Amino acid sequence: MAWLVASVAGCAWIARDGLRQLQDEFDTNARIAHRLMSQQVVQYDAVLATLALLGGAGERAAEQRLSGVYPSIRAVARRDASADWPDQRLADAESQSRAAQRPQLGPADLAAGRYWLVMAAQPASFALDVDLARTVPWADWPMDPKTSPVRLSLQGGKQQYVVQPGAKTQGPWRFEFHKHLASPSQDFDVVAERSVRLGELPWAWMLLWIACVGLLLAGTRWLQLQRTERRRAEERVRFAQVARLNALGELAAGMAHELNQPLTAVLANTQAARRLLDEQAGPDELATARSAMGQAAEQARRASDVVGRLRRAIERPASDRAGQALNLHDVLRRALDLLQPELSRQGVEVRLHSSTATHQQVRASGDPVAVEQIVHNLLLNAMQAMQQQDADARRIDLAYGPASDSRHCEVRVCDNGPGIAPEVLPRIFEPFFSTREHGLGLGLSLCETLAQEMGGSLQAAPGDNGRGACFVLRLPRIA
Amino acid sequence: MNEPQTSSSHQSPLIHLIDDDAAVRDSLALLIGTIGLRVQTWSDAQRFVAEFDRGGIGAIVLDVRMPGISGLTVLETLVAQGVDQPILMLTGHGTVEMCRRAFKAGAAEFLEKPVDDEELLEALRQAVRRHVRSRERRQAGQEARGLFEQLSEREREVLRHIVRGLSNKEIARVLDLSPRTVESHRANIFVKLGCESLAQLIRGYAELADGDA
Repeated sequence: MAWLVASVAGCAWIARDGLRQLQDEFDTNARIAHRLMSQQVVQYDAVLATLALLGGAGERAAEQRLSGVYPSIRAVARRDASADWPDQRLADAESQSRAAQRPQLGPADLAAGRYWLVMAAQPASFALDVDLARTVPWADWPMDPKTSPVRLSLQGGKQQYVVQPGAKTQGPWRFEFHKHLASPSQDFDVVAERSVRLGELPWAWMLLWIACVGLLLAGTRWLQLQRTERRRAEERVRFAQVARLNALGELAAGMAHELNQPLTAVLANTQAARRLLDEQAGPDELATARSAMGQAAEQARRASDVVGRLRRAIERPASDRAGQALNLHDVLRRALDLLQPELSRQGVEVRLHSSTATHQQVRASGDPVAVEQIVHNLLLNAMQAMQQQDADARRIDLAYGPASDSRHCEVRVCDNGPGIAPEVLPRIFEPFFSTREHGLGLGLSLCETLAQEMGGSLQAAPGDNGRGACFVLRLPRIA
Repeated sequence: MNEPQTSSSHQSPLIHLIDDDAAVRDSLALLIGTIGLRVQTWSDAQRFVAEFDRGGIGAIVLDVRMPGISGLTVLETLVAQGVDQPILMLTGHGTVEMCRRAFKAGAAEFLEKPVDDEELLEALRQAVRRHVRSRERRQAGQEARGLFEQLSEREREVLRHIVRGLSNKEIARVLDLSPRTVESHRANIFVKLGCESLAQLIRGYAELADGDA
């Protein structure tokens, strides 16, 4: 919609501008044509005046030679005082000229481009036979008479002489120019007409404009889409994390209920039995206590069944964990990308590099998703470990390369946080062991299980220069 | 079951235990039985709400997580119906929010499964004691009201001034009576209400007398 409005408005403006340019050009050309024609015809007045002034003093032949100088003057007629004009119309023009004291238009055939100009004088009057076709100064003419779309004509009385025919086809716009020649004797009206066809509008510019608007809008739109897409991706990541937490919470609640029921029964039964036995137990009490103990045992078994069922329900099929060839660099890159927003928010500087100088590809065997998950967890741990220190001192070193033995390769995730306390180190992979107040203590335990399922291992060690912690993930190597 | 040792009431206390899990129900019933309280178990909360004896002395032990209906909803229903037995909530996975909601709704206690015997039994003993006391208080209140209604209009007026701490002379002046008349009203009041001391009179009837004004 915006594109349509912008395109139409822009095109209208371009068309208007185009028309204005055409009109300017037309006006200029018409004015030049008018000036040129005026200059030409004024010369005839001057020639006649000169002839009249010289009168019959000169040689007769002199005036006849004028045609040589002015090709547009076909002939010069002269009437001596005693003679008569060959044409009555010349005589009429002469008498008018005498009255007006200036040259007068004699008989004219404008359609053919011919007219006479008469000047009354003593002792002899003169008349010029003017050829308009030769009058037009084509050398200086602003337009090409054959191709110009402008129709230019000289109009006098009911007659007209067409200087150039212009274009025949008519268009929706029309320009006109009217101006009389600057000679009172040859008071022809210079009429220029120009019709602008649709085809003459600046279509190329308009198309270019439409294309530009389209490109601009498409670009904006694309940027917007990119932005929403990026935002959505971030949302998805966050949502996945929340969903995982929710699932964990739900699992914990369900597990708590499923286990607490039998545990409640076990506890209540054994405590009831103890109370019965504490009293002076008669045969009735003994029987009740015995049955309660039986109940307790049965409920303990029920609890163990619950645990078994839970294990089977969430146990991952281990078969597809191993065996896939994976490019460590790509897997690590993906894990980093997933955490990039969080990493940059906390100002953590991450260095991902190969531990060998040669940039040979390191190919491991394993499940890319599992490796990614392990690295993800290790990175999260590293970030959390460094939360208490200055933002510009948070660094994670993520290195990969062949292990010291030839059969494995390894990924090292090292941070420069406070490191792992020596007394904590042996317990760090135990399930439900956490140093964080609200930690579930399952992250590293899960990572270790995943690593072992892929035929690898996960180990923790103090950082290289005595600072921070290093986790080393080993995976089978593919030569 | 053993004979009830508590209760000055003619009824022995009865604990209602509602849990959908038979093993939990039976074992808790056995445990509660060891201190001589009678237990009635219910597997279906809705049936319990419809059928249990509201007039009896005792307490209610309610599981929070039951199929079909939440224990918290049952708690709210019972409180709304004016059930006066103390209600103990029992849950396997209690959150702070759930606990808050239970106490706000009027739960007497909020216990987590698996529950230790001492904790549960002590809570039940207290709940039953509290219930018995509240029933007795209510009964005493009803009796007092019955006696109070037998007083004449004038006697009630005099009683009101007595509990406010006025002497006979002062009462006579306020009510425009002779001190002797006040003295005789006072004697009648003590007889009709079965009181032997001023302290007893004030403890039992101060509220009634004041509320009557």
